[in-house]
This record gives sequence, C-alpha cells and structure tokens, in this order.
Amino acid sequence: MAGAAPFPEWLEVVAIRGGAGMAALAVGAIFLAATGHDPWRAYREMMIGALGSPFAIEQTIIKAIPLMLTGLGVALAFTMGLWNIGAEGQLVAGALAASWLALTASLPTLVMLPGLILLGAAGGAAWAFIPAVLKTFVGVNEIISTLMLNYIALLWVDYMVFGSWADPTAFSFPYSRPFPPQAHFPVLLGDIHIGLVLALIAALLLAGLLQRTHWGYEIRTIGASLPAARYAGMRVRRNVLLVMAASGALAGLAGVGEVSGVIHRIQQGISPGYGFTAIIVAWVARLNPWAVILVAVLFAALLNGGFVIQTAGVPAAIAYMIQALVLFLVLASEHLLRRVRRRRALSQTRAALQVGR
Amino acid sequence: MSRTVSDPLVRLQGIVKTFPGVVANAGIDLAIFPGEVLALLGENGAGKSTLMSILAGLYRPDEGTILFGGERVELRSPRDAIHRGVGMVHQHFRLVDSLTVAENILLGWREPRFLLDLRSSAAHVRRLADQYGLEVDPAARIWQLSVGERQRVEILKMLYRNARVLILDEPTAILTPQEVEQLFRAVRRIRNEERAVLFISHKLDEVRAIADRIVVLRAGRVVGQSSPQASPRDLAQMMVGHDIPVAPKRHLPPGAPVLEARGLDVHGDRGPLAVRGVSLQLRRGEILGIAGVAGNGQRELLEAIAGLRFPAGGSLSFNATDIASLTVRDRWVRGLAYIPEDRLGQGLVGAFTVTENAVLRDYDRPPISRGAIFNWTAAREKAETIVNAFHVHSASLQVSVRHLSGGNQQRLLFGREVLTAPVVLLAMHPTRGLDVEATTTVHRLLIDLSAAGTAILLVSESLDELLAVSDRIAVMHRGRIVGVHPTTEVSRAEIGLLMTGSAPS
Amino acid sequence: MRTALRLTVAIVVLVLVGTLAGPGTAQGKHKVAFIYVGPVGDAGWTYQHDQARQYLEQTLGVETKFVESVPETAEVARVEEQFIRQGFTVIFATAFGYQNFNVQVAKKHPDVHIIGIGPAIGLAPNVKTIYGRIWEGRYLTGIVAGKMTKANTIGFVAAHPITTVVAGVNAFALGVWSVNPNAKIKVVWTRTWYDPPKEKSAAKALLDAGADIVGQHQDTPSALQAAAEANKLGIGSESNMQRFAPSAYLTGTIWDWRQIDAGIVQGLMSGLFKSEDYYGGLVDKVVSLGPFNPQVPPDVQALVDQRQKAIVAGTFQIFKGPLRDQSGKVRVAAGKTMTLAEILGFNWLLQGIEGQSPTAK
Ligand SMILES: Nc1ncnc2c1ncn2[C@@H]1O[C@H](COP(=O)(O)OP(=O)(O)OP(=O)(O)O)[C@@H](O)[C@H]1O
Ligand SMILES: [Mg+2]
Repeated sequence: MAGAAPFPEWLEVVAIRGGAGMAALAVGAIFLAATGHDPWRAYREMMIGALGSPFAIEQTIIKAIPLMLTGLGVALAFTMGLWNIGAEGQLVAGALAASWLALTASLPTLVMLPGLILLGAAGGAAWAFIPAVLKTFVGVNEIISTLMLNYIALLWVDYMVFGSWADPTAFSFPYSRPFPPQAHFPVLLGDIHIGLVLALIAALLLAGLLQRTHWGYEIRTIGASLPAARYAGMRVRRNVLLVMAASGALAGLAGVGEVSGVIHRIQQGISPGYGFTAIIVAWVARLNPWAVILVAVLFAALLNGGFVIQTAGVPAAIAYMIQALVLFLVLASEHLLRRVRRRRALSQTRAALQVGR
Repeated sequence: MSRTVSDPLVRLQGIVKTFPGVVANAGIDLAIFPGEVLALLGENGAGKSTLMSILAGLYRPDEGTILFGGERVELRSPRDAIHRGVGMVHQHFRLVDSLTVAENILLGWREPRFLLDLRSSAAHVRRLADQYGLEVDPAARIWQLSVGERQRVEILKMLYRNARVLILDEPTAILTPQEVEQLFRAVRRIRNEERAVLFISHKLDEVRAIADRIVVLRAGRVVGQSSPQASPRDLAQMMVGHDIPVAPKRHLPPGAPVLEARGLDVHGDRGPLAVRGVSLQLRRGEILGIAGVAGNGQRELLEAIAGLRFPAGGSLSFNATDIASLTVRDRWVRGLAYIPEDRLGQGLVGAFTVTENAVLRDYDRPPISRGAIFNWTAAREKAETIVNAFHVHSASLQVSVRHLSGGNQQRLLFGREVLTAPVVLLAMHPTRGLDVEATTTVHRLLIDLSAAGTAILLVSESLDELLAVSDRIAVMHRGRIVGVHPTTEVSRAEIGLLMTGSAPS
Repeated sequence: MRTALRLTVAIVVLVLVGTLAGPGTAQGKHKVAFIYVGPVGDAGWTYQHDQARQYLEQTLGVETKFVESVPETAEVARVEEQFIRQGFTVIFATAFGYQNFNVQVAKKHPDVHIIGIGPAIGLAPNVKTIYGRIWEGRYLTGIVAGKMTKANTIGFVAAHPITTVVAGVNAFALGVWSVNPNAKIKVVWTRTWYDPPKEKSAAKALLDAGADIVGQHQDTPSALQAAAEANKLGIGSESNMQRFAPSAYLTGTIWDWRQIDAGIVQGLMSGLFKSEDYYGGLVDKVVSLGPFNPQVPPDVQALVDQRQKAIVAGTFQIFKGPLRDQSGKVRVAAGKTMTLAEILGFNWLLQGIEGQSPTAK
C-alpha cells in the first residue's frame, strides 16, 4: 500500500467531493447527450439558475430556509433515535397555526410577528406531540404515526382554504385570503426573510444544546443506547415528549417562514416536500446542526437548478434524474471519505509506532 | 511429536493490524495443525480477538499473508473464510432471536440455494448435535435459549458449514462448570476428527485442561509457546512479563447492616417471578458472594436493588430507609453503585468516547454540569482520573469505548462505579473476560473497597473468585436463596450441590 | 464543524464555476416561455398548451422554451424570474394558481408580458389572463350523455371544486336533462388536477354506483380508460382523448389555445397588448368538441350541432332561470339568465346532482 500519500488532507477532501460531483455530472452528461440535449448548456443553465447570480443565490437561500429548519428538527429527533418522518406535517401545522393568527387577529406588527413565530412553533410542536404521546403511553411506532399525521395536516389545509379562510376573490381556488401586511416577515436582503435568522439561531442553539448541556448529553445517550440511558436513570419518556415537541417546533417555524415570509397566505402545496427532503438533509449532514445549514443550501441549489435546467430543453424527468444522481454520488463520496480518513489515521498510527517491516 | 510430520492447515505469516492509535497485531506468525487444540493466551488487548478475526475474514490484515495448505489466500469476508473451512464463534453471538435454531444455522449459507428444506436440515442439525454432544432443540427459537445453548448453536452452525478450523473466542466466560465440561467433550471430539480448534480463554486451568499447545501473545506479538504441562504461574508470567502477586486474604469484622431485602419478589423479562421471596442482609465492609448457575434470578435481584426493575413484593431498605420507591438515580446518589453484567449494552455506551462514558452517572451534577451547562474540561478530568487510577489502556480519551478491549472496558466501568467510594456496590461478573492480572487487580480492588467500608454484593459463576474474596457466600437457585454461609465454614462441594438445587440435609 | 467548512469550500467552488460560465442570452425577437403545471405527456390541459407553443414556433418562428411540473406556489415566481433573466419577454403561465405570482413578477419587470389563466384575480398593465367558457362544451357533451345512457345514471369525475369546474358540472347536468330529464347525475371530486390513479378509482366508484357513462374534468384519460375497461362509455376533457379509449370515447371538450396565443404574440410583435380577462368559447374555438363515436346516432349529432350553433349565435343561454341549488333554494329566478360574473362565482351545485359540493355556501 502506498499509504502515506503526501497530499494534504484538505486536498484529498476536495478531490473526493469534487470527483463525486464530476462523476455525477459526467454520467448525467451521457444521459443528456443520449437523449439529444446539449449537456454543457444544460449544466451551465443549472449552475446559473442555482447560484450564478445574486438573484439565483437569493432564491436558493429562500428555498434553503425551510430545509434548514426542518432539517434541524429532524436531526434533533434522529439524534435521540426518534424516527420523526413527520416534519412535513409539522411544517404544515405550524403554517396553519400562524395563518390562524394572521387571518383572524388584527394586531400591530410588533405583536403580530412574535405571535406568528410562537404560534407556528407551538403548532408544529403540538403536531409532533401527538405521536410522542402515542409512543410513550400506547407504544405506537412513531414512524407510522408521524407519517400518517402528514396527510391529516395536508387535509386540514384543504379544509381551511376551501372553507372559512377561502379567498373570496379566488373563484374557490384552494388558497386563503392574503395575510395583512403586519403579518409579513420582514426581509433582510432582496426577498430573503427573517426565517434565515431564525434558522441560524436554531442551529446555534441546537449545536450548543447537544454539545454543551447535560440535556444534550442525555439526548445523545438515549439515541446511542437505551439500556445505558435507563441504567443512568435518564427519564426517557419525558425526553421523547420534549424532543419530539422541539423537533416539531422547528418544522413549525419552517411553516411560518413559508406562509409569512414567502407566500403571504396559506394554500395547498405550501411545501413541495421540504419535510421529506429534510430527512436526507439531516442524514447527509450526519445530524450536525451546522452541516445541516450548509447541506440545506446545497440541496436548495440542486432543487432550483432542477427547474432551471428545464429551460435548456431538458424534460423534468431527466432533471429529476440528474438531481438524484448528484445526491447518490454525494452520499457515496461521504462513504469513501470516511474510509480514506480511516486509512490516513491508520498510517499515521503506524508511522508513529514504527511497526511492521 | 507427530506435529512435525503433518502439514499445517493454516499458516499465518507476519500479520500486522493497526487501528487508529493502536497496533493490535505487530507481525504475528502462527501455524495451525490438524488434530490439535491450540490455545491463545494473552492479556486484555494483547490482540487475540483481532488475530482470530483476521483468520475468520472479518478484518483484513494491513500486512502479512494467510496460507491454506501452502496456497496464499486473501480472505475478503467471513464467507470466504468459511469456504476455506474457518469458522469463528465470537464473544458476542450473531444469532437472530426470533428465528429457530435450524433457521439460524441455515441462515446465510449457500446451500440450499433457493428453498429452505427445513425438515431435512433440521434432521441434519440434530444428527450433528448428537454426534458432538451439543444438545439443542433445532425447532426452539433463539430467544428461548440460555446463553450456553446459544453458544452450542453457534458451534453447530460452524460444524454444519464443515469448518476445519474452529475458533472459540472466550467460550467459557459465560458457561457454568457443567457446560464447560460438555463443551470440552465436544472440542475433543472435533479435534479427534483431525480438525483444529483455536481456543481463547483467560482461565489458565481450563487452558491447561484442553489445550495441546499454548501460544502466548503480548502487545500484538507472539512471546512464547508452551505445553499444557507448564505451571499456571509460568504461563501467567509469560503473559504479563512479570509475576502476579496473589490477592491477599482478608479478615475483617463485619459492620452495621446497610442493605436489607425482605421477601423480595421480582418479575423476569418473560413474566413469571425470577426472584422469589429473597431476604438478605448486607453489612458495611462485607463482601457477600452470590453463587449460582446463570439465569437463576441473580440479574433480576441486582436490577431490583439498583432500581432498574420494580419488585412485585417485599421490601428493600438502604441505610435503614425504605428505598423501594426511589429511582435508579436517587439510589445512585445515595451511594448505590452497580456494575451490570452487560458491559457494552448497559454499563457503557459503545459509541461514546471514554470521556463521555466516564460521566454517564453524574453528567448532570457538579462538577460535570453546573446548571444546564455541561463542562467538558471537568468530564475529561474525571476520565483522566479513572484512566490513571484503574490503568485503562486506551489510545486517547477520544476513542469510542467499543474499540477498547474487553478488559479495558471493564476497568473503565469498574473505575467509574467505585471512584466515589459507594456505600454499596452491586457487581455482576466483574471479572468476566478479564485477563489473569486484571482479575487479580479487580479482586484486590474489591477487597480494598470493602476494607474502606463499602458493602459489596458480588455475583459470580466462578467459585474460585467467590471463595477468594467473599466473607459470606449465598447460593441462588430458581429465584431463591438456598443457603448463606460464611466462606470459612463452607466447602466448594457443598456450594456446588446447592447450586444444582440439591440441598444438603 | 469540519464537515461544515468543507461544504463551504464546495459551495464557493460551485458559485465560481457558475459565474465563470456566464449568462447565456441572445437578443432579437420575442422569446416566449411557457410554464406548465404538469408534465406535457400525451394528453390533457398541459398537452394542449404545448401544442400552442409548437404552433407559435412553426407559424411565427419565435423561440420558445418551457418548464413543466411547476407547482402553483412561489416556485413559479422563481421560474418566471429565471426566464426573464434569460431574455424571455413573453411568458405564458398556464395554470390558474400562478396568477398572484404573475402579478408580483410583472410589477418588477414592466417590459415583460405575462399571460395567465383566468378568471382574473388581479391584473397589471403587462398581465393578461385567458380562459374559455368551458361550460358551453360541457353542456353539449351532456346532451350526448343524456341521449346515450341506458342505465339513466351518469357519473362525473371533477377536479378541484373551483368555480369554473362547478360551472362545468352544472352545465353538463343541464345538457343531460335537456334531453333526458330523469337521468341521475353523480359527482365525485378528486381535488387534484393531475393524478391518474385517483381519477381512475373515482371513475370506478361511479361505475360501481351504476353509472354507464362517465364525464370528467380531469387532465388525463384515466377516467375514460376506466370506463372502457368496464365496457362502459365516457366523455373526454381538455384534449382529444379518443385514441386512448376509442370504443368508450363518445366525444369530449377540447381546449385549443393556438389561435389566441398566436394572436397575443403577434400583437406584441407590433407593440400591442391588451391587459384584460379574456374569455373564449365555442365561438372562437378556444372550446370545441372532439370527434363523435360512431355509436352516437346522426340525429343526436345533429341536435348537438344545432345547439352549438345557437350558443355561438347567442340565441341560446345555458344558465337560465329557474335554477335551484341542492337545498332547493331558488338561486336564479325564472326568466333570468346568469351573467358571466355570476357563472364565475358558481359555488353551488344544481338541485338533482348527487354529490356534495365542497365549497357550497
Ligand atoms: N475495531 C477496533 N477499532 C479500534 N481499536 C480496536 C478495534 N478492535 C480492537 N482494537 C484494539 O486493538 C487491541 C487488541 O484488541 P483485541 O480485541 O484483539 O484484544 P484481545 O487480546 O482479544 O483482548 P481481550 O482479552 O480483552 O478480549 C486493543 O487495544 C483494542 O482496543
Ligand atoms: Mg478478545
């Protein structure tokens, strides 16, 4: 083995990650060429559309905000070994709760905004609390219950937007009246709303919670070994309830961001599956809060690029396929990186200890 | 002897295997001959399991070659190894709880390729079981079996796959003396078929009883060979590199009672009472040994006292106060420490670092945490203290404990539990899997601890151990205490009889 | 934390590559973009819009591009902005739910013209909406269904309960009853525009409930295929769906956007644009009927033809009082006809139609 390569580590990382990206693009290019499209043009459009201009970056960040918040929520739950796959429903529940306030109360901005944030978080938390209660007291598997609740939340939106919240000017189209201006999230830059600040604060708090508080230690222990947590006298049930609620609250905030920060009303399809993508985001980020933030941006870029690539004449189906390809190879490169890093640690150990021949 | 005339089945040459921060095997040569029981001896962390895992295709060596009948072979997986005739029974079993014995034995085996012909395979399994005296019901489900029976399933699995080299990694650590005898009979039969058995154990008398040849490892190298006729003392010296002082006997006057159970009933995992009306009293500075065949309620008794299991009846008092309604945490705070049998599953978190594991008990109280804030510096200091005081060998405090050798895991766990000089220590098999020196160390620690006033409830399957350190010995059988005797007034034979349920008149 | 750092590097690299590649713009004539709510596929609403797009390329020689499967959310604003960046000056945003975003984007780009789908919720000087009186076509297909039913029960698979769909269901029923006053009409709502399995199962439910003809307001031929599989009959919608179920297809409504889209683009080429809420219909062939199944007798075909002429000529009004809602309340008094605005406000179903209207007030 020519183990002790003279490459600096960062170069290796860039090489592997870059290599994975290149490989994805190369395979994608073959597909594109085979289906009669110009790969170079398609990629150029994709890049420009995702990150190639201030506007594109702005749009990518806007799209990343809900992925960040739901991703953080999912990462928190997963850290404790709670398989919350209901971030989508919790997002919607948060959006519903905030919409209720926005559409029914007339409050000054200074009261309205905190109200929206609190209520949205509470809505998401409540939606996640249901499976948590079912799990702790009845033993219902949270994978199933959180998944089911996604659909219920979506139907609830239907009910509201066709019913009492319906926009009378919209010919019964399924969306609500617009929010009053007091219920619009302030923007930071362009259309980037303060949801970004919420997401960054959330990441900061979550990283701090997990690494620097004893509650975080508890959460990690429960996630790593339930018998050991019981042995240490940790209150597992209480933590299931709390962590699910916190996880749901984060997703709920994502929902508030979408209705108050982006669409300014509630309607069907406020989330094109952010809560599900969040699972992949959390996983790729290996549950690290800061990594979630960055992975969310990359994913948002990928999703936006997917629409833009169509403007180069690439059908949606192929665009989705390229997205999946990139995703797949990124996951694969993570695996490879881990192995390389291990090998490096080994050769260092051996060099230090001077064994073998 | 005849060894020289037969060619080795397998030859390992210059095997090197490193893990981050550790050299587990530093260039090992080893030849394994047909028809021999080859014992590997060595301290905890000497590299025995690693070497065997390489032979079984689980790890790939960094350097070195493996030769089968002179042919150089790369083992890429356990499958490769078993196809070459090497089968390993691990310290941790790899069985599927919900499947039957026969299904487990067939699982993952290449034939039958499409349909599991369970009936004829079950017959085959039964034939094998009879042939080697490894009784087990092919139709039973794994979860219904005792650990000893599970081990038999693992061995049968390898025999079914026609293993020519059978590796047994510390097989006796979890067996009762009777089961050990049964195992040895099977091992001899296997050896007599011109197969080879590799046998790892820390118990020198066992090794001397079963082995044809002994190879001693230290720090990843072969440091010597020996015949089974060598004295335990010589063997121990070869392993450790120096003499091991025997733990001193102790004579201490008993103190005031600190723990008292009356008529304790405790349910087992599967429902029925595992502990029935147990009454016992533990006094300050005393070591009360509990003898008994595994699975007679020892674990449930300790868990009930530790607060992990709620008794169905009876009372429990600690320092003259009723603790039946206190949580694990409250009991720990009052000075009740517990070393569970399942080290990595319960007492430690395998994925956590040494530092993180060091504070599993007091992570939320000063000095580890002040308010909500977890203090890493304090945690590291505590880990450092334990590592130094209890000689935990670890590349760093950042290593995941699952990568420590069994002995070092146990030292860490032990150190954490006794660092604060508890009032009562519940210890379940604290020396299981420990090497000779570590075992003596633990014995000395137990004795010192009790001398300092801690009352110790020690569960062990080793009568030697119980006789060496206990003041009194109680015997548990079918959930009941069937006799408590001062160690000085009871013989090994009497205890053995009590353990099998035949009470002396 | 290290993972985070490395990801930052990756992003920076991506951005650099992106900007170096530079924007690809080409100046010249009008570039026309289309945004579709579903995949183009081979039938349905989006398919017909794509036909119009191809027609523009062929007849006017303009450059066109499209993006499909864009949801009716903020996503569409992103796609529009993207097109604008690429130098597109005309955007056909072909779903009703895009409207709010059209107006938002149009306000930022006064030199770009966006054509949405009506009824208009809001307009801007550079925004127009187009739609058609689809209920005219539905009424005619209702006549065919009323004549052809043997079970005297007719089903209808409806999409979202928005007013234009409700109007179509009501018109269909009036068409049926104009020739067969005793026929029963059952409606099922899928609450989706595009969901083939759901459409199919809705159609099956109606067939199981005794219907022998299934009408629809859906984007795919699924309901029709369900009817064919059950050896029953069906009515198409959106595009000519005959080839998907030739035996079952009686006729159907068809959208045709070619002329109107071409007219708008031609107007823009000569600098003309009218911001309005435009409604076509049978009269300008934005709405038309598909071919008749040979099973439909000539006299029925003639009757349909005659009624169509009357509608085009304005001598026949579909929604004429008295009209009662499902609760029996008179909504349109005898002798009165509904105005366009009233038709576009339909949120109630006619008395005699079985099945809830989710938006009934
Ligand atoms: N997967 C691993 N990752 C990192 N280190 C490891 C791993 N497996 C073993 N080690 C280290 O390698 C060394 C040898 O371990 P090994 O398990 O072979 O010892 P052993 O002789 O079997 O000890 P014991 O008697 O305690 O079972 C130890 O220091 C151990 O911590
Ligand atoms: Mg070992």
